[in-house]
Amino acid sequence: MEQLSKILYENILTILIFIPIIFSLPLLFLKKQSEKFIKIYSLLLSLIVFIFSLFLFLKFNPDVEGYQFIVKYKWISFLNADYHIGIDGISLLLIMLTTFTIPLSILISWQSVNKRIKLYYFMILILEGSLIGVFSSLDLLLFYVFWEFILIPMYFMIGIWGSEERVYAAVKFFLYTMIGSVLLIIGVIWLVYSCMEKDMFLNAENALRKFTLDITQLDKISPFLQPQRQILLFLLFTIGFLIKIPLFPFHTWLPDAHVQAPTAGSVILAALLLKMGTYGLLRFSVPLFPVAFLTLTPYLAVLAVVGIIYGALVSIVQKDMKKLVAFSSVSHMGFIVLGITALTQEAVQGSVIQMVNHGLSTGALFMLVGMLYERRHTKEIAQFGGIAKVMPVYAGIFLVVSLSSIGLPGLNGFIGEFLILLGAFGSQNLKSIYYSVFSATGVILSAVYLLWMYQRVFTGPVDKDENKNLKDIGKIELACLIPVLIFIVWIGVRPNTFLHKSEKSVNKIILQFKNAEIINKTRNTIDINNSVFREEK
Amino acid sequence: MQNLILYSLSNFIPETILVVTIIVCIIADLIIRKKSFAVTFVAIVGLVLSFVFVVKQWGLSMSIFSGMLAIDNYAVFFKLLFIISTLFILLFVETSKEMKTASHKNEHVYLILSLTTGAYLMASSVNLIMMYISLEMVSLTSYILAGYLKKDKRSTEAAIKYIIYGAASSGIMLYGMTLIYGYTATMNINEIFLYLSKNPITDTPVLLASVIMISAGFGYKISSVPFHFWTPDVYEGAPIPITAFLAVTSSAAGFSVLVRFFLVGFANTEIITAVKWQEVIIVFSIASMIIGNFVAVWQTSLKRLLAYSSIAQSGYILLGLAVVNSAGLFAVILYLSAYLFMNLGAFYVTILIHNKLGTDNMDEMDGLGYRSPFIGVTMAVFMFSLAGIPATVGFIGKFYIFSALINTNSPNLTWLAVVGLLNSVVSLFFYVKVLKHMFLNKPEKPLPELDYGYANILITLLLAVPTILFGLYFTPLLRLAENSIKIFGLN
Amino acid sequence: MIDIQYFLILSAVLFSIGVIGVLVRRNAIVIFMCIELMLNSVNLSLITFSSFFSNYYGQIFVFFIMTVAAAEAAVGLAIIISIYRNKESINVDEINILKW
Repeated sequence: MEQLSKILYENILTILIFIPIIFSLPLLFLKKQSEKFIKIYSLLLSLIVFIFSLFLFLKFNPDVEGYQFIVKYKWISFLNADYHIGIDGISLLLIMLTTFTIPLSILISWQSVNKRIKLYYFMILILEGSLIGVFSSLDLLLFYVFWEFILIPMYFMIGIWGSEERVYAAVKFFLYTMIGSVLLIIGVIWLVYSCMEKDMFLNAENALRKFTLDITQLDKISPFLQPQRQILLFLLFTIGFLIKIPLFPFHTWLPDAHVQAPTAGSVILAALLLKMGTYGLLRFSVPLFPVAFLTLTPYLAVLAVVGIIYGALVSIVQKDMKKLVAFSSVSHMGFIVLGITALTQEAVQGSVIQMVNHGLSTGALFMLVGMLYERRHTKEIAQFGGIAKVMPVYAGIFLVVSLSSIGLPGLNGFIGEFLILLGAFGSQNLKSIYYSVFSATGVILSAVYLLWMYQRVFTGPVDKDENKNLKDIGKIELACLIPVLIFIVWIGVRPNTFLHKSEKSVNKIILQFKNAEIINKTRNTIDINNSVFREEK
Repeated sequence: MQNLILYSLSNFIPETILVVTIIVCIIADLIIRKKSFAVTFVAIVGLVLSFVFVVKQWGLSMSIFSGMLAIDNYAVFFKLLFIISTLFILLFVETSKEMKTASHKNEHVYLILSLTTGAYLMASSVNLIMMYISLEMVSLTSYILAGYLKKDKRSTEAAIKYIIYGAASSGIMLYGMTLIYGYTATMNINEIFLYLSKNPITDTPVLLASVIMISAGFGYKISSVPFHFWTPDVYEGAPIPITAFLAVTSSAAGFSVLVRFFLVGFANTEIITAVKWQEVIIVFSIASMIIGNFVAVWQTSLKRLLAYSSIAQSGYILLGLAVVNSAGLFAVILYLSAYLFMNLGAFYVTILIHNKLGTDNMDEMDGLGYRSPFIGVTMAVFMFSLAGIPATVGFIGKFYIFSALINTNSPNLTWLAVVGLLNSVVSLFFYVKVLKHMFLNKPEKPLPELDYGYANILITLLLAVPTILFGLYFTPLLRLAENSIKIFGLN
Repeated sequence: MIDIQYFLILSAVLFSIGVIGVLVRRNAIVIFMCIELMLNSVNLSLITFSSFFSNYYGQIFVFFIMTVAAAEAAVGLAIIISIYRNKESINVDEINILKW
């Protein structure tokens, strides 16, 4: 028994990745008639995964710097690519978000998805496995395999179960993210080879001796690559991440994908897939290429601020509720990127917690809009009015979620945005307070678009006949929303439960960055001395 | 003299077995006089026997028939590839309805075997004479196979287009060969290399012209732009099993001889800077990728789409050759092994669809993924593999090609990798289009489900499982490739 | 002794005529004759080189080219016959079910 629990403990991550993938396979062989069984089976499976991840959360030691639960097996000896997984605090929170969101998105589809349900739940479950894989890979090839694999189930989810324009949206989503992935794989290969080239370093002993894809080794070496090479590599890596986030101007696929996807698809997309981008930025772009990051910080930060304001402004004029929420995502993700560019303890912590917050509140908003859509088959704001009188509970929950998204103190959104703005204000990296000043307008604008939408939809007289007999929220729907509400309040009141977990990991990233910065500064002076010396000769 | 011939013959057993099998098949066909699996069975036995003897040649390195043929791991790799693909093609023919409409009885069996024999010789030939003869052996049989359904207008049309292009380009290739012969006074590529590396190269235009002309002959076999004009028409017109055969065996044979010709005869920095054949290959490769991928986007026929996809794929493989180092060659070998499974698989699924629907028009495949989930899922596997998505063997091929390009320290080639990868984004568009028809488009009226027999499912799985398995664990392929390229002695 | 250039120039001229014929003529049989012309020009230059270098590779090659050309003609004519049966024409412009 003890041995069993030891094995369990050591391989918990592998279990988390492969349980949903392997146990979803039997779904494909079930008969079509056993609909109920399929739903219950996949719900139970995702709940089991959630329970395992709770175990992970409790056993995770927040005082240890570096990765935990590391598993390493030989995979492809030729490339020295290993099955190498492990997590730090940042990955932990995102994995928790994943295992938490998936059961909810299964529940939310309980009644709304009626066609090809075998395939549907299969897709959701393999999506879960690969997402956990992305958040825990420490090997670049493994990471890339999971990263790319996620495209396939998502493409089908939008393409098969979406609304009218689904095929167009699915293809657009696929091509946009594929361009990013292609650049990413060039970056990966080039990075490893660059690290092996001796003349890329001032001190040739730095160079890698053998081919490896292990990021725990690469991030010790690649910060010392020549700055120009670093910038190119940084761009190759980061453009893919920026498309996924999506940062302005790479965001154009997002509204289409969100509006066309089924409710659960939108939830997963907003809560989890977008986080892959910011996670990649934090895990790869910053620690691997500090010099490039330093050089390009102003551009990234400007894009982030433009994204915040642009997303908010476009949200204001939307007539479609789902589109409004989609554009608000662009705005919120801008905050996260801003926090990362600020690179102070507070800002990055804020970004990490904001990733979770955005997953919760935007996910919940998509669920709520989806519920209304099921009742009325329209998402147009003008079609509603006075819903609060017909559906009081629904309206109440909607208000709480909106306020959390706006950033009302006491709810989760406030913690993230406050930390980010605070951090950005005093950031040495950004060198200017205007970034946080401008992005603060984003907070105000978000209040404008969300509350204005709330006002138009929920208040006033019930002037449409169709709206008079809407049913209030049902049991299953309530079951989807209550857990989200709990966490919205929990993070708002006691953020330390979660912030504490990621503290060391964030510190480590910032420290790595600072060290590399110092070493590179000394290197620049040496370079100048050398060139002077050569000229004298 | 006699001893030499006996020695050569003792190392020529795999080919001899195939020739004997062909004769036995002809006799069996004459005796049986009706369509029968027996002839195919004889062929399969012959191929398996030949397989055993080919495997025995692994590790040898020698040249036989006074420098006409080489026995080495490189040749063995290709022979194994040809045997596997031929075995699959024989099974494809057995399960294809289209081939049953032919007025011939069992002729296809020994035609297919003759093509395989020709391909064997192509893989091991080190002499211009041998290269020409073996190329023609492959070509002549493939002309006949393309026109196998002689009452079908499309099939005969495919055959005549194929033979006109084929004969013209082999004529051009021959003229190139005479120019090389006139320059170096020898026909053995090893001696050509010695001559070129020892003597200063003076008449570069002549050599460049001859290299381009010879590439015309090989380029037409691998359907690389600008010698690709036959490909879409022949692929569309020929019966699908034959198309698959041409796409895999015949083009792999083309690569085997193309790679050997350039990397044995011209792989030397001085020769490359003087003759500039590397640039020629790069131009061909970029043109193939761009034309193949962009034209494929507009196709409505699945066979034509796969034809353009083959053109594009040969562009990717040429990229590996253009690097001119062992990493590039390694990638070529790897890509070809990946190509075997995924392309045969894609064609087999096309055969299965054609069996039921009687067409390969993609508009009629709407909702096919639900009428037969098995077909839908396996097609998805092959399409994603051709597109190079991870967890499939196609990704491994592309990964190695692009890492070879990136790791050359020459900025031109890194730039090529970007071109190649952007092209593969375009290619995704049409590979996904196939799946879009199968899964996302709704048919106008509900159609009945399609059932396939166990034999069909088994053959598909035999191709689909390696496509995924080698995508996840590809060390065996790597070992094979590593050992196959040692004889070239590249750095 | 005639200079080697004359043979080579003649061969090049014959080859060009052959290539142009393949590109210009529309009758399948004439196209085949032009291809034959190309092959024979190759034969001519091979023999020239062979006697110039006084080694026998070129002459051996010529024998093989002749054999293969005969086989090619046999297959080609058979295909032309079968297309004539199907379409009653051997003009390559009219062979156009498949887009060229």
